[in-house]
Amino acid sequence: MTRNWILKLENIEKDFVFHLQQGTRIVVFDGFSHLFFPGRASILTGPSGSGKSTLLRMIYGTYRTGGGHIWVRHRNRPKDIAAAAPAMIYTLRQDTIGYVSQFLRVVPRVSALDTVIEPLLARNMDLEKARKKGRALLERLNIPSTMWHLSATTFSGGEQQRINLARGFIAPFPILLLDEPTASLDLKNRRIVIELIKEALADNTCVIGVFHDPKDHRDFADHTINLAHMLNQEVMQSCPGKN
Amino acid sequence: MTRMPENSSQPLLAVTHLSKFFGRQLGCHDIGFTVSPGEVIGVVGESGSGKSTLLNCIAGRIKPSNGSVFFNSSAGMIDLCRSSEALVRKIIRTQTGYVTQNAAQGLKMHISAGGNIGEKLMAGGMRHYGQIRKMALAWLERVEIDPDRIDDMPATFSGGMQQRLQIAANLVNSPKIMLMDEPTSGLDVSVQARLIDVLRKLVSGLNLSMVLVTHDLAVARLLCHRLYVMKQGEMVESGLSDQILDDPRQPYTQLLVSSVLKP
Repeated sequence: MTRNWILKLENIEKDFVFHLQQGTRIVVFDGFSHLFFPGRASILTGPSGSGKSTLLRMIYGTYRTGGGHIWVRHRNRPKDIAAAAPAMIYTLRQDTIGYVSQFLRVVPRVSALDTVIEPLLARNMDLEKARKKGRALLERLNIPSTMWHLSATTFSGGEQQRINLARGFIAPFPILLLDEPTASLDLKNRRIVIELIKEALADNTCVIGVFHDPKDHRDFADHTINLAHMLNQEVMQSCPGKN
Repeated sequence: MTRMPENSSQPLLAVTHLSKFFGRQLGCHDIGFTVSPGEVIGVVGESGSGKSTLLNCIAGRIKPSNGSVFFNSSAGMIDLCRSSEALVRKIIRTQTGYVTQNAAQGLKMHISAGGNIGEKLMAGGMRHYGQIRKMALAWLERVEIDPDRIDDMPATFSGGMQQRLQIAANLVNSPKIMLMDEPTSGLDVSVQARLIDVLRKLVSGLNLSMVLVTHDLAVARLLCHRLYVMKQGEMVESGLSDQILDDPRQPYTQLLVSSVLKP
């Protein structure tokens, strides 16, 4: 089973030093290790500040790792994100690790549809084929077709988040990182996102997520990782009630 | 963010130990970085940090005091700082485009918009007038300038239009790398947005590399893959754009990032 991991955290360390605040140092991880597997959903839990978003961002390479390794099985070979050259990180982000942040970073003048299909175009999909997939997903997420050609700058928070989600789910990824994907969504749209997550899992995606509401993940979560008791320990629990 | 660049083993441009002193005044000191095909590099920092000096050294407009600027040419990596004037001029002309902050300085204001583009085409070897005019029209459209303005003087253009004309004129000979000095500064925000959009499309459409000097971190985030942070002539930190902006580690970088107002 250990042979099949897709992501392996090996003694990772992370601290933040706030030079503008008299050099205050906050240690978030101090030797954390964990294995993640394809087709499994891991939920990160813990109070605010315990490192949930930090961990997602370290896996994505946005936050730099202070020590240890973050091994990703990329095209069947392990690559250490903590030590990867920029070109490798670009490749990993394009093909292997997807990330859905909490908020859409809106680019003026780029239509919602073009924002959504960018990951497909990066993989050299034909433009019309990509647009067709994009429209289908936007429709599924209840974004009216009258809005598809508009830039998301004028959209509501919930609408922007749905554009963000569409962009995150449109291309399959071996690893998908989700940071509060259902925040700012109403119940109807939350259900759709949960469906999308389940479909990704069925497609053997390794899902690692932070969710505000435990009800959102009770159907598909395989286990939770509680970061509240961090620093060399992990509290892992299997989830009851999973189908 | 712009689309990720293609993976390539040989960098297009490699700067090593680059320094420039103006007498005893430090312009930039011991700068090193590489640019790969399709990559957009941002050099950020406040006024006087040495960003423009660095760019001008790369563009061959200033002679560095020390160090090397290697361009990847068909004959291998050539150091501009140790090559003949003629070779330097040839490499700069064929491999690079240069866009200044003040478009009027980068354009020939006494000839028409079409002439500005056409002149560059002719310098690149094109002779047929009809062909030149056709290409000039195509380029104007690409940078979203009304083709009807082809015979107008740049002085009649708005700042944003002049800037886009400058970009077009510098792209006609298919340079591998564009060097841009504060291309969006001094423009209204909606004009900036348009310019940024044009640049994004050009980068992904042409697999163009860019070195972009800017003090605007939002522009840096939007356009650049990687950032180099400069302070008083020194490079204090470098990394992927999201790394620098979301996880700044050096004191000056943290100061820079925290100083940005969010509307």
